[in-house]
Amino acid sequence: MNIAGIGIISNRGRGVQSLEKALEEGWIPPKDSSYCVSEDIIKDKVILKEARRADNFTKMAVLAGYDAFVDSGLPPEAKKTLGIIVATAFGPHATTFRFLDDILSYTDANVSPTIFSHSVHNAAASYLSFMLQSRGPTLTITQFADSFHQAVILAQSWLNENRCDYILLGSVDQYGEVMKYICGQKLKIADDGKIRPFSFSKLPVVVPGEGSVFFLMTNQTTSKKYASLFPPADANFKKPDMCILDCDGMCGSEEAYLSIKETGALVSSYVPIFGSMLTVSSFNCVAAALMLKNQCHYPTPIQDNPHGLDLCKIHQPAKIDRISCIKYGCKREKREFFLEK
Amino acid sequence: MNRECAVISGMGAISACGNNVAETLDTFSQGRRSGGRISLFDTCLPYPVFEVKGLTNGRDIMRTLNLAFIAVKQAIGDSGLQGVLQDFRVGVCLGTTVASQLNDIDFYREYKNTGNASMHSVERYLKGSLAQAISEKLGLAGPSCTVVNACSSGTDAIGVGLSWLRSDMCDIAICGGADELNRVPLAGFGSLGVASNSLCKPFDKERSGLNLGEGAGIIIIEKEDTCRKRGKKARLFLRGYGLACDAYHLTAPRPDGSGLETALSRAMDEAQIKPAQVSFVNAHGTATKDNDKVEGMVLAKVFGKNIKFLSTKGFTGHTLGAAGGLEAIFAGSGLREGWIPASAGFTNIDEEIGIAPVCQKTEIIGNCAVSTSLAFGGNNSAIVITKE
Repeated sequence: MNIAGIGIISNRGRGVQSLEKALEEGWIPPKDSSYCVSEDIIKDKVILKEARRADNFTKMAVLAGYDAFVDSGLPPEAKKTLGIIVATAFGPHATTFRFLDDILSYTDANVSPTIFSHSVHNAAASYLSFMLQSRGPTLTITQFADSFHQAVILAQSWLNENRCDYILLGSVDQYGEVMKYICGQKLKIADDGKIRPFSFSKLPVVVPGEGSVFFLMTNQTTSKKYASLFPPADANFKKPDMCILDCDGMCGSEEAYLSIKETGALVSSYVPIFGSMLTVSSFNCVAAALMLKNQCHYPTPIQDNPHGLDLCKIHQPAKIDRISCIKYGCKREKREFFLEK
Repeated sequence: MNRECAVISGMGAISACGNNVAETLDTFSQGRRSGGRISLFDTCLPYPVFEVKGLTNGRDIMRTLNLAFIAVKQAIGDSGLQGVLQDFRVGVCLGTTVASQLNDIDFYREYKNTGNASMHSVERYLKGSLAQAISEKLGLAGPSCTVVNACSSGTDAIGVGLSWLRSDMCDIAICGGADELNRVPLAGFGSLGVASNSLCKPFDKERSGLNLGEGAGIIIIEKEDTCRKRGKKARLFLRGYGLACDAYHLTAPRPDGSGLETALSRAMDEAQIKPAQVSFVNAHGTATKDNDKVEGMVLAKVFGKNIKFLSTKGFTGHTLGAAGGLEAIFAGSGLREGWIPASAGFTNIDEEIGIAPVCQKTEIIGNCAVSTSLAFGGNNSAIVITKE
């Protein structure tokens, strides 16, 4: 399936250009030990007019999804055969905690219906369908570390079945006060704000992040195309020109990534730009799509290299046909998808 | 459109109606309703609920996952796949609402009060990712995905399983949904003014809202070829799935019902059947004013005023993410057994709806049933099940 449009909201801004700029600039230190999306980035009074009561989780997804559709250049009629698949690891948990605040403060009988209705995982997909007036199949899925990979598989299935002609395939995850506590308890937060993707440590460090990415996917030929995306079942076995690793510290020990050294592949990882989150694969996927479209290497932002990998170190033109995006889950299970020029 | 169908080779159900499919059908046949005051947690809310009795809550396992395990085990047993499941490419797709949310009030209270809460409930939540936990427990390597499409999650999970089979992502899929009774949806539906103070009355003129329930409904679907090769006789088939979004409102259905109509049309188109071939509809029928009005209107429009239909939520309560899984089983059982129960709670026709569900145990002649789900977010889903 082809990537015909991209929308992205990250700590570095909104839109593909913001990410290209970030990939060129490289790492910058986080604020308050995390990479959060500032309110300024998700301020859009026009697009979010009907979503003004929505939470930031929904706003990030709506803007990224809307931007991906616009970026594709598809005509409005395409919305008639548009599906939406949203992947999230934790959903709008900040809103759920607001609802629990209501219960604790005012009892079960005096809670806010608005907060409740926004606490369901599919609120973001609902707003996005409303914003685009898209009435096709709309689904939200969650699978913790695997959420985006499963969404890719489903998108390919839907397109293969002709369930729809176009799909907005995206991810969204949020950071917040309670998640900060949980991350602090369960994970090792980086003292210096640096995720070190190539340490392949038993106890890797994290810098939590948040954001949303959407891709406009289709099997059809479109005027704009970044790259083709293949889930493992549909991939051929040609050797990739480079591998992008999702090692952001969120899944515990990263020793399994050591196997990449034996392949001798050119390696990169852009997670230090976005921050650690279970849906970070979708962000690395954007970086891969941009490299294929622009036929250039973006430098890996943190270049600590204790295992002597062949790292992608500088921003330069390059002939790239195929990129493999690899993730190892909490039980060392390998997840992979491929992008091709 | 790929219209390959799937064999439904196993079913497992647990709800307030019974701890398995046979007990459930007995409850339906007797017309017993077990709704009452909630005992799982203390609350000031007066709404009756439909609890699963006798299920002990484990300290380390989410109740939702516990319910799912029970139904999965039954379904695997029914399918004859016990002991050989790992020989196939098996996917797991389950729907839920509660299990996806980190909403433990004791954890949150402790965190708010002390800033230093025990992580026990967080660990339990992280182990409770429904499809992942089932897949890992059974040692399966196929796709695995939890659908969180609110109240249509169970039906949509079945639809995802069908898509996987058609795309050759797996040979067999364990699908359906599970959800436990929980304070957050109880308080939430109460705040929306859609929870009833009395036992629910789906499609009745005097209906006053839903009752929450809990349970799990799991079906095993597989490719016809896989089923044939292992010598299992195919009796029920999943032939079509339709999903359409209202793009209208976060909590209310589109008043003209066009989203549900589209979902029905897509499901029947996939199944290559006409409305006249449908023997009965297991409707979503929550007993809220808006849902039943829109759904009844659409059923009358699509299938005609004489369509046999029912809501089983008068027996189970609204089991949220489990509803689609349970009701797929009820629809399949109706075809297989040749009868459906009276639509519990219904007495008086609502002129605004214009059609009435079945008021007594009703014989089913024919081979085709439809099950519908509507959800927050404007999701409308439908599946078509046929027998032999």
